[in-house]
Amino acid sequence: MAVMEVNGRRPRRGERRSLVRRIWRQRHDYLYVLPAIAVMLLVIGYPVYATIYLSFFNTPPNLALDDKIFVGFDNYWRIAMSDSVHQATWNTMVWTLWSTLFSFIIGFAAALALNREFFGRALVRGTLLVPYVISAVAAAYVWRWIFHSDFGVIGAISVELGLTDHPINFLDNQTAVLPSLILVNVWKEFPFAMIMMLAGLQTVPDPLLRAAQVDGANAWQRFWHITVPHLKGVALVTILLLLVANLNSFTIPYVMTGGGPAGASEIWITHIYQIAFGRIRFGLASAYSVILFLVMMSAGYFYVRALTRGDKDNS
Amino acid sequence: MTYREKSGPSRRDVLAAGAGLVGSSLIPANSFGQTGAPVDLANWSPEYVRKIAGTLEVDTAADCAKIVPLDYRGNITFWYVGPTDASPRIEHEIDAEFWAAFAKTYPNITVEKQSFDYNTILDKLRTAALGNSAPMVARLMLLWAPELAAKGFLNELKPEDVGHSSAEFWPAAMKAVTWRGKTYGVPTYNETMALIWNAELFEQAGLNPEEPPATWDDLVNYSRTIKEKTGKFGYGMVARRNAGNTPYRFMPQCWAYGGGALDETAAAPRYEQVLLDSPGTKAALQASYDMYVRDKSVPVSALTNTQNENQDPFLSGNLAMMISHPSEYAVMLDKAARLSGDERARADRAIAKVRYGLIPKGPARRAVAFGGWNAHIFKPSVTGGKHDMEAARALVTFMTGPEWSTKLAWAGSNPGNLRGFKTSWMKKRLETIRFLDVTTSMLTYGVPFPVIPESTEIMNIIVPDMMQNALTGRMSVSAAADAAARQVRDALSI
Amino acid sequence: MNSTVATPTSDARDVPARIADRPRLRRRDPWRIVGNIFLVVLTLFAILPMVWMFLTSIKSQFAAVQYPPEWLPHNPTLAEYVRLLSPTNDTGRDFLRYMANSIGVSIATTVLGVVVAVPAAYAFSRFRFPGRNLLFYSVLLRNMFPAVVFLMPLFIMMRWLGLVNTLASLVLTYLTFGLPLSIWLLKGFYDNIPPQLEQAARIDGATRFQAFLHVVMPLSTPGIVATAIYSFILAWNEYVYALTFINDKARMTLPIGLQRFFAEYSTNWPGLMAASFIMSVPVVVMFLVLQKYFVRALTEGAVKS
Repeated sequence: MAVMEVNGRRPRRGERRSLVRRIWRQRHDYLYVLPAIAVMLLVIGYPVYATIYLSFFNTPPNLALDDKIFVGFDNYWRIAMSDSVHQATWNTMVWTLWSTLFSFIIGFAAALALNREFFGRALVRGTLLVPYVISAVAAAYVWRWIFHSDFGVIGAISVELGLTDHPINFLDNQTAVLPSLILVNVWKEFPFAMIMMLAGLQTVPDPLLRAAQVDGANAWQRFWHITVPHLKGVALVTILLLLVANLNSFTIPYVMTGGGPAGASEIWITHIYQIAFGRIRFGLASAYSVILFLVMMSAGYFYVRALTRGDKDNS
Repeated sequence: MTYREKSGPSRRDVLAAGAGLVGSSLIPANSFGQTGAPVDLANWSPEYVRKIAGTLEVDTAADCAKIVPLDYRGNITFWYVGPTDASPRIEHEIDAEFWAAFAKTYPNITVEKQSFDYNTILDKLRTAALGNSAPMVARLMLLWAPELAAKGFLNELKPEDVGHSSAEFWPAAMKAVTWRGKTYGVPTYNETMALIWNAELFEQAGLNPEEPPATWDDLVNYSRTIKEKTGKFGYGMVARRNAGNTPYRFMPQCWAYGGGALDETAAAPRYEQVLLDSPGTKAALQASYDMYVRDKSVPVSALTNTQNENQDPFLSGNLAMMISHPSEYAVMLDKAARLSGDERARADRAIAKVRYGLIPKGPARRAVAFGGWNAHIFKPSVTGGKHDMEAARALVTFMTGPEWSTKLAWAGSNPGNLRGFKTSWMKKRLETIRFLDVTTSMLTYGVPFPVIPESTEIMNIIVPDMMQNALTGRMSVSAAADAAARQVRDALSI
Repeated sequence: MNSTVATPTSDARDVPARIADRPRLRRRDPWRIVGNIFLVVLTLFAILPMVWMFLTSIKSQFAAVQYPPEWLPHNPTLAEYVRLLSPTNDTGRDFLRYMANSIGVSIATTVLGVVVAVPAAYAFSRFRFPGRNLLFYSVLLRNMFPAVVFLMPLFIMMRWLGLVNTLASLVLTYLTFGLPLSIWLLKGFYDNIPPQLEQAARIDGATRFQAFLHVVMPLSTPGIVATAIYSFILAWNEYVYALTFINDKARMTLPIGLQRFFAEYSTNWPGLMAASFIMSVPVVVMFLVLQKYFVRALTEGAVKS
C-alpha cells in the first residue's frame, strides 16, 4: 500500500471481485475523504433528490405539503408555456455573460496594472479587494441607495452638474435596470478575477520574457506571445468560476429590485425564489430548479474537465 | 361581566348597516350570544366614537379568571411582529407593559416570545410549520389566516372559546378568520388607513390646505397641480412587487372605481368571480398610469418603493400625499425628537403641517383595506407535539379583551374587540393621539381582502405585477389587467 | 518543471528578479501611465460606495434622506455606532449577540472546513483508489447548485437531524460552500510538493498519517490559510440560509441583524449603513492583513504552468 505505487494502471480484468478487493485493500484511503464526502452527500444529495421528487407534484397554497397532488410532467409543461420564462431566460443570459465578461476584463486589466512593483502596491491591491469581501446584502443596500431614482447620489450629481434635469432613473427603468445590476455585480466580483489573474501572471517564466526583450520584442509582443498563452489555463478556470457564480447569484438582484420593474431584472434564480416563497408553489419551483440543474450539469462537465486537465498528466 | 350599555338597535339593523361593504353572512343570526353587538355600527362617526369612549369599566383579570384560573401553571411559545428600531417609542413601552401585566395576572405561565420583522414572519411560519417547530400562539396579520387554516395548521378557535362573543368583533374581521364555515382565530386589533397630506404644499399649490381631495379623480389632479406648481411629488404611490404595502394602497383605489380582485366588495362574497379585468379595475389602473406616466407627479421610484421610502421624503417636504396609518405620525414625532438645530426646526414645521383625512371616494364607493391582526392557536401537530392549550387560551383571552385590545393598538390601530371603544383607555387615546378619530371613522368603509389561501399570491404578486406592467408601458392598461385576471383564474384552478 | 518550487516573487528583495521590476528597464512607458490612471479610477470605483456608506451612517436619519443630498454631514454623529455597540441598550445587546453568533459560526466553519478539506485534498492528490476521480468531480460539482434552490429540502433535512433553529445547521451548510474551492486549492498545493519528502519520512519509520501530519501539512500552510480565509468570509457574509434556518433572535447572525432596521413603513438608513459598516470591518481588515497568503496560495497551489 505504498504511496507512489501506480496501481491504477494495472489492466482491468473486468471482474467485480478485483474491484472489491482493491477497495478493501485501500480502505484506509477512503478515511481521508470520508468527512468531505459525507458532508457533501448529506447536504447536497438529499436536497437534489427531494427537489427532483417534488417537481412532479402540485403544491397549491391551500394544501399542506403532505397532501401534494401527483401531476407528472405537468409542471414542466407549464414552464414551457409560460411567458415569464422567456424573459427570465433572456435576462439570465444577459446577466451572466456580461457580468462574467466585464468582471474578467477589468480584473485582468487590474492584475496587469498591479503586476509591477511600486510604492503602496500592497495597499492598492488590498483596497481593490474590498468589494469582494464585504457582504452582498450590505453592498446591495448601499448601491440601491446610491442608484435611487429620486434621492440617489448619482442622480443628484448629474442634476447638479447640469447633465440632466431629473435624477437618472436606474432601477425603475426597464432598459437601465439590468445594466445597473450588472455594474454592481462586476463591482463585487472583479477583485476575484484580479487575484486569480495576478497569481497567474506571477508564474509567467521570467527568463522567457527577458530573452524576448533582448531579442527586441516590445511590450505588446511580449504580452501577446508569451504572457497570454501561459495564462490560458488560469483564465479558463477563472471564467468558468465566474460563470457559475453568476448563474447562481441571488442576493444582489433580489435585494435591489426583487425582479422588477415588470420582470425586467428577473433572472432564473429570483424567479424560482419568487415561485417558491412568494407564490408558495414548491412543486413548480422544483421543476424550474431541475431544469436549471440540467443546464448547470452541462456547464459543469466543461468546468470539471478544465479544472482537472493538469491532473491527467500527474497520474 | 359588569358594564352598562345603552340599548342597542335590533340585530338586523346592526347587520344591515354595519355590513354595508362588509357583509357578515357567514355568521348565522342566532350565534350572537346574549346581547348582540355592543356598539352602533350604523351611526359610526368621529362624534359617536368620542361619545361612547370612557363609558365602560373593565376588569381584565376577573374576565380571564372565568376562562382559565389565574394560578394555572404552564408554558407557551408566542410569535408576533413586535416593535423594531423603526417603531415609535410608545409601541416599545406598551409592549413591555403588556408582558408585565400578563405576568402579573398569570404569574405561573411562562411565555417564550419571539418578535419578527413584518416582511419575514410569514415565511418563517411556513417553514416552521414544515419543520414542526411552529409556535403555539401567534398574532398574525389577517391576510395570512386563510392559507394557514386551509393547510390545517390552525386549531379551531372562536371568540366564545375565550369568553367573548362573535358579535363583539368587527364583522369584516370575523369574516377574515373564518374558513369553510369554521373559525380559526380571534381578532386583536383592526385598522384602516387614511390619507395624509402636507398642508403647506397644498397651500403653495393653491389648493385648500385643510381639505383632502374628495374623489380619486381629484387626487390625480391635485398630484399634478402640486408637481407643476411646487416641483415636489404629489402622491406617494407604492408599486413594489412582493411587498404587502402595495395592495393596501392600490386596492382602495380599485374598489373605489368599482373594481376588485374577486367579489370581495359584495355583501356576501363567494370569491369565484374575478374582477381584475372589470372596467372599474381598469379605470383605477388608468388613473395610476396617468399619475406615473402622463403627469409624472409621483416618485419614479414607486416601482421599487415600499411605504418605507415614502415617509422620509414626506417629512422633508418632498412629497405631498400618502396613504398610511396613524402611527406614521407617531414615528415622525419620534424622529423629530431625535434631531437638533435647524434640522429639528424643519422637521417640526413639516409635522405641524401634517393633516389626516378620509381616503377619497370613487364613482362606486369609498373604500379602504380592512386590515388588522388576529390571535391564532396552532395545532399540536405542527408545534412539535408539545402544546399547552389552556395556557394558550389564557394568553388569547388576555390579549383580546377590551383592555389590551385597545392598549396594544395604541399608536396605530383600533381595538378589534368593539367593547374596547367604550373603555377609558380609548378616551385617553382619542385625547392624546391626533387624527385617531379620522382613521377610526374609516373603519366602516373597510373591505377585507379575499378570504382565500391564494390571497397573498394575488395581492402581493399578481396585483403589483399588473401595476408594473402597466406603469412601465410593457403592456397597455387593458392588457395588463386582462393578463392579471388570467393569472388569477389560473391560480385558483390549480 | 514542477519538481522545483516556483520562485515566489515576494522573497529576494535585494534584486528584483522579475523583468518588470528592474529599475533600469523602466522606461517612460505609455502602458505604465495608462495602467496607473486605470488603477486610480478603479480604486475610486471600488471604494466610493464604502465611503458613501460611512458618510450616510454618521448623518442623522433626517439628514440622510435630504434631496439634494448632503455631501458632508453638517452634524456628524456617531450615535448609531454607539447604539449598536453598547451593551446598555436593547439594540446594542442584540447586535453584539449577532456579532458573537457570526464569529462563532464563522470560526467553526473555518476550523471544520480545514479539518475536512486538508485530508481529502491530500488523498486526492496522493492516493490512487477506485472512484477517486468520480468523488473528486462530485465535490467540485457542488458549486454548480444554486444555494437558494435547496432552502426547503435542506430545512426539512435539518428537521430530521434535529438541528432546526440551531447554529450547527448553518455550520453544516456553510461547510459545503467552501469545500470545493478549498479542496481544489489544497490539492494543487500537494501536487506541487515532492513526494520524496514523505518517502524519506516513511523510511525513517513514520506511518503514512504521521508523514502527512508532520512533513507535508506544514508545507501547505499558505494553502491552509487561504482556505481558512475563504471559509471565514463565506460564513460571515452568508444571508439566505441564515435567514431561513434561524428563528430565534438569540441565535441570529449579523447579516440577518440588518433586517431590524426595516419596519413596515420606515427605514433607519443611517443605522442600516452603520451596521453594514461594522459588519464589513472585520473581514476587510482580516483580508488586508492576510491577502499575501491568499495570493501566495493561489500562486503556488492553484496555478500550474
